[in-house]
Amino acid sequence: MPLGFGTALAETERMEQFIANGLCKGAVYATVALGFGLIYTTSKVFHIAHGAVYTVAAYALYFFLIFLEFPFPIVVLFGLFAAVILGVLIELLVYRPLVQRKASGAVLLISSLGVYIIVVNLLAMLLGNQGRVLRPGVEATVNFGNVILTRVQVAQIAISLLGMTIYWVFLKKSSLGRVCRAVADDWVLASVLGVKVQTTRLVVFAVGSLLAGMGAMLIALDVGIDPHIGFPVVLTAAVACIIGGLHRFISPALGGFLLGLVQGLVVWQTPAKWESVVTFALLICFLLFRPQGLLGIRQRLEER
Amino acid sequence: MNYVFHILTMICFYIILGLSLNLLVGYGGMFSLCHAAFYGLGAYGSTFLMLNAGWSFIPSLLVGVIVVGVIAYLIAIPSTRFHGDFFILATMGFQIIIFSILYNWSELTKGSYGISGIPRASFWGLKISSPPAIFAVAFVLAVMVWLITLRLTRSPYGRALQAVRDDETAALALGKNVRRFKRSTFCIAGALAATAGVLFASYSSYIDPTSFMLDESVFILCVVIIGGAGNLRGPITGAVVLVFLPEFLRFLQIPDAVAANMRQVIYGFLLVLIMRFRPRGLLGSYSFD
Repeated sequence: MPLGFGTALAETERMEQFIANGLCKGAVYATVALGFGLIYTTSKVFHIAHGAVYTVAAYALYFFLIFLEFPFPIVVLFGLFAAVILGVLIELLVYRPLVQRKASGAVLLISSLGVYIIVVNLLAMLLGNQGRVLRPGVEATVNFGNVILTRVQVAQIAISLLGMTIYWVFLKKSSLGRVCRAVADDWVLASVLGVKVQTTRLVVFAVGSLLAGMGAMLIALDVGIDPHIGFPVVLTAAVACIIGGLHRFISPALGGFLLGLVQGLVVWQTPAKWESVVTFALLICFLLFRPQGLLGIRQRLEER
Repeated sequence: MNYVFHILTMICFYIILGLSLNLLVGYGGMFSLCHAAFYGLGAYGSTFLMLNAGWSFIPSLLVGVIVVGVIAYLIAIPSTRFHGDFFILATMGFQIIIFSILYNWSELTKGSYGISGIPRASFWGLKISSPPAIFAVAFVLAVMVWLITLRLTRSPYGRALQAVRDDETAALALGKNVRRFKRSTFCIAGALAATAGVLFASYSSYIDPTSFMLDESVFILCVVIIGGAGNLRGPITGAVVLVFLPEFLRFLQIPDAVAANMRQVIYGFLLVLIMRFRPRGLLGSYSFD
């Protein structure tokens, strides 16, 4: 990332730059967190395999773009398609039988962890463990006053905001979105009223995976890929859901932006290596002092 | 022959780790994912005492274990306020924080370079350096941990802990201080895991933070889940199975680079299949359902 490290830059200008970088990252976190939050609230699965979906989308981008040299728009479609297929397959093959057995949340979480481990290591076996860069060379930059952003970063903000808007319209305006919210609220009641809960869950997993795939490609174009990129991102998404609160569908996005911003400021003040410590310290503070999240209104998490 | 003793020693380490995590998972119903952090803190703590303060093995073992026990207790205070998914997420958070400190505080831990030249274990001047002797020490320690967990789980304390696991509200109604039970179990489990860490450091004479990552916590959880939780034979079986399993890959002549990933794939499949078809593990008596 072309950070303005020149000596001429004043401290406030540097701060603006780091805030902008943080917001770009936060926009992508927000997208992934929305997908994670949708799946968590609707299906009650703590979907760690979301990280596998994320990684697969990034690798599909790499595979079709670099190996097969397909044109970019088609590659993006393939990447999203791969993410959706994997997300739906995980629900069909792994979660559905467990839910039908009325398995506990811990069983679902551990299965999800197992799926994540399988997918990521299969990818590493097929395509190698090493990290890769998708776009060699320096990116073209765009100036906004004191802030310099790369084209990819501009795309991160713009496409994430667009995706979130479409997602919001889908949830609030379309009948399918209303059904999703109904299942999230009370799936037993929804099924009594004739909602096909299992189909709705598939839709939710498809939409959530779509959002994860989008985020994955936006980050992969910026900083490259390796087989283990998914796990930190899905943990960040989970933290964003807790910080934002889970009772409104859009609040994970707030948490994602906040986390990106805080991480940007951490990089400004300290070496970047303390990023994950700050993320999880923030998580633990929120769990202790505001477990319902920023926008949460109903009961506290620990009472569930 | 040294190879056989190496495998047996590793099995002893994972028996200690599995039995201690089983106190949390199988008896307390708490899916903790920061066990590798306690393991690592034990290894690093005793290494400091031996290398920087010049202590001998036994005092640094004891002090290291006690310090890690205290840290585990402190971590338990916020974590045990939560149940289910959020408890797991909180412990995962502590695991990542502790790993990150070990990895990044390079003035103290030498970061990713690791610390080498850790002295071998010695008891009253008797240096333990041959593989059979190290295995003997690990075995004795594993048996001690087994006895401790046996004594603990068959005591009124252990029964009360299982009551907390099965129905927290009922235990609360009977006047049991639920959170204190959870915190003290965390403390004991952390301290026991630290003994394995101390021994591991002096056995391999080199430690680096990557041995104590989240992956390791997941692996220890695999030992308990696949072997079975809620009794003592489960984690022991799990440790034997999971340490032996990758050694078979070695005989299949699979190149090392692929073998590491393939091992992980096998663990992943085992987790999914066990959760699907036998949620109490191979020999366990507590079903996670």
